[in-house]
Amino acid sequence: MESLKKLATFSLTLLLLACGGKESEPSPADNTKDRKVILTHWVDNIIRPSYVDFRESFDVIIGKAEEFTTSPDQTTLSALRESWVDAYIEWQKVELFEFGPADKYTLRNFFNIYPADVNGIVTNMNDPSTNLDLPTSYARQGFPALDYLINGLGSSDGEIINAYTTDPDASKRLAYLDRLTARMDLLLTNVISEWNGAYRETFINKTGLDIGSSTGLVVNAFVLHYERYIRSGKIGIPSGAAIGSTGVPYPEKIEAYFKKDISLSLAQSAHQAARDFFNGTNRFTEQEGPSFKSYLDALGSKDQVSGATLSNIIDNQFITIGLELDQLSPNLYEQIQTENQEMVETYTAMQKLVRILKVDMTSAMSVTITYTDNDGD
Amino acid sequence: MNNYFQKTTSAAPLVVFRIALGLLIFGSIARFWAKGWIFDLYIKPKYFFPFYGFEFVEPLGELSYLLFAICGLCALMVAIGLFYRIASAGLFLSFTYIELIDKSTYLNHYYFISMVCLMMLFLPAHRYFSIDAYRNKKILSDAIPRWSLDSLKFFVCLVYVFAGLAKLNSDWILHAQPLRIWLPAKNDLPVIGFLFNYVWVAYAFSWIGCVYDLSIPFLLLKRKTRIFAYSAVVIFHMLTALLFPIGMFPYIMMVTALIFFSPEFHEKILLKIGTWIKVSGDFTKPSIQYPVSGSGILPVAFGFFLLIQVLLPLRHVLYPDELFWTEQGYRFSWRVMLIEKAGYAQFIVKDAAGNQAVVDNSKFLTPLQEKMMATQPDMILQYAHILRDHYNTQGFRSPQVYVDSYVALNGRLGKPLVDPITDLSKEKDSFSHKPWILPFGNEIKGI
Repeated sequence: MESLKKLATFSLTLLLLACGGKESEPSPADNTKDRKVILTHWVDNIIRPSYVDFRESFDVIIGKAEEFTTSPDQTTLSALRESWVDAYIEWQKVELFEFGPADKYTLRNFFNIYPADVNGIVTNMNDPSTNLDLPTSYARQGFPALDYLINGLGSSDGEIINAYTTDPDASKRLAYLDRLTARMDLLLTNVISEWNGAYRETFINKTGLDIGSSTGLVVNAFVLHYERYIRSGKIGIPSGAAIGSTGVPYPEKIEAYFKKDISLSLAQSAHQAARDFFNGTNRFTEQEGPSFKSYLDALGSKDQVSGATLSNIIDNQFITIGLELDQLSPNLYEQIQTENQEMVETYTAMQKLVRILKVDMTSAMSVTITYTDNDGD
Repeated sequence: MNNYFQKTTSAAPLVVFRIALGLLIFGSIARFWAKGWIFDLYIKPKYFFPFYGFEFVEPLGELSYLLFAICGLCALMVAIGLFYRIASAGLFLSFTYIELIDKSTYLNHYYFISMVCLMMLFLPAHRYFSIDAYRNKKILSDAIPRWSLDSLKFFVCLVYVFAGLAKLNSDWILHAQPLRIWLPAKNDLPVIGFLFNYVWVAYAFSWIGCVYDLSIPFLLLKRKTRIFAYSAVVIFHMLTALLFPIGMFPYIMMVTALIFFSPEFHEKILLKIGTWIKVSGDFTKPSIQYPVSGSGILPVAFGFFLLIQVLLPLRHVLYPDELFWTEQGYRFSWRVMLIEKAGYAQFIVKDAAGNQAVVDNSKFLTPLQEKMMATQPDMILQYAHILRDHYNTQGFRSPQVYVDSYVALNGRLGKPLVDPITDLSKEKDSFSHKPWILPFGNEIKGI
């Protein structure tokens, strides 16, 4: 029994020694490590308000598309285009929420797979019974297909309007435009009503970090979105940077190919939305709230060499990428053809962020990345 | 010394261990099967990572089910003591074969089971309370050489002590890593969850865990402290079972620790089972001693085996740089739960003709394999060779393979693990240091 006592005293002393000399940590009493608080903030102050804004801008598209299909002319076409640009920008702020309801309906597949499959769109137009749920139809609908239908049918506005008025296929085009907006409307309605319904509770109560937990889902979706749909999709693939500095560029694979001068602003919005989500920026107050950032700070994650916090390192990299993006031409197609090196540099900065998010952030949070890599595509 | 090898002890502890081990392995196999892991881990992957020197171990495809069935059957036969020598040989070989197929699935406790099965194969665990002894009364004996039980105990002590020594490093002791990362992930557990928000709890767990490993075998050995020690074993392993996804490990250790209990304790267990299955008293109390021979090859072989077990975990001192970083000499050394490592490895294949490809790892590896590969240099090399051979058939001429790697260890910021300008297609695996592993550039003090 004596040895036992000694052992107990020994361990207790060691414990006290261990805890004594530590730098002060954020007190756990302030809830900063409470994932339920973060999940609640995400759903109530970021995710749902973002969908509300996107919904509003999408409703405008529906209205303008109706006016256009009723009387296709220069005025209604311009108005539809304007609403399309606005909604496409707003879409960038919800595309990252591809978990829960949006994942269930695979919203991204039906809203923003590009480049648009022009031949496929023609096929679908000629046969209104084609199934738009099939993977082959992904690039025949959503914003990229609308882009083609309102910006890509001719070299002048006159030609485009003719395609909806005097052309023999005019009625088919009008019908397809209708079909696409109606379909997007339905899918979006489904996703939003799930967030407004029972899923909110499910989401904020799955507080673990294991596979299937809300935080696990969000981390995976967030990193995947940045890696595959911002870094590769918007910059890496069109510039060829995704396969090294000697990669072949595919400028025709930019987002919004038929309205090239918004391609940069789409990328900027998506990037900013990711940064805002990382920082927990409240959509109502614009103030930062519970987030990856606050959670990493609460965990005390930092670079042991420089002492910089991990959240700071990440946010700084977001800022660096933002500055790289600012240097690019609003028209990424032109940028790739004239000065592709700047695209490659932007890609490199994004690649650095992806590594930090995918390795440092997930490791610090003890979340497992469960999605599989898809870099080559 | 010679005298020691003449000593005998009750066969009951070894026999209870035989029964429990057989049932546990059978349970593990059944669990593995039920979870669909045979398919996920041994049939679904397109490529495998065999151990260096064991490349002849091939995956069996659909026959994996047969291998698992044999393993489960042998485990049951060991438990009941039917055709013991054949069954225990079958158990050791089938179980070890499974573990050698793919190092992505390496776990210390699987290695532990393999080694225990190897020892059991040569121990007289079937001489008592077995179907073999029931059918052939000539082998029935309730006493066995003392060294045979002691060598098992010694092996278990080694495991604990090495696990404890491995925890005596600055990350574990001074920074509470990686528990500091892992515990807050469980802060939503009912009742105790809130505790994991406190850094001191991570320290407490780290220190207690270390003291536990270093002291528990000795406390189990002593009669006075045994009950206390065993309660600690149960509490400790139940807690780890609750906190970490470590499968059967806690149960294996709880059962294993029983071998330290007195012969009387085990005899009571056997008596209970005996009355329950209605075997005669003669069978449970035969009082025939195992013919012991003081010389003989077996004690020498066991001594040699245990010596290897002492040396193997120390082999990392032969390698430069940080063990946790290079993992050269990391496996087979009872280093459990010591590192939180995450990595990212993007491979580029090129050839002189200008062909170039960025590898999509998911086309070659399962998520588990990719996760393991990304942080372990020997697997990175194996994978590079898989890619070289694959691209050779895809029109690349003597493909060169480069990796852009990034690894974070125990809360440090990530950094490249492998030299990005080394053409891995030309590098060969061996037991010598891999010079293309980039330096850790940091120090983890410890043994």
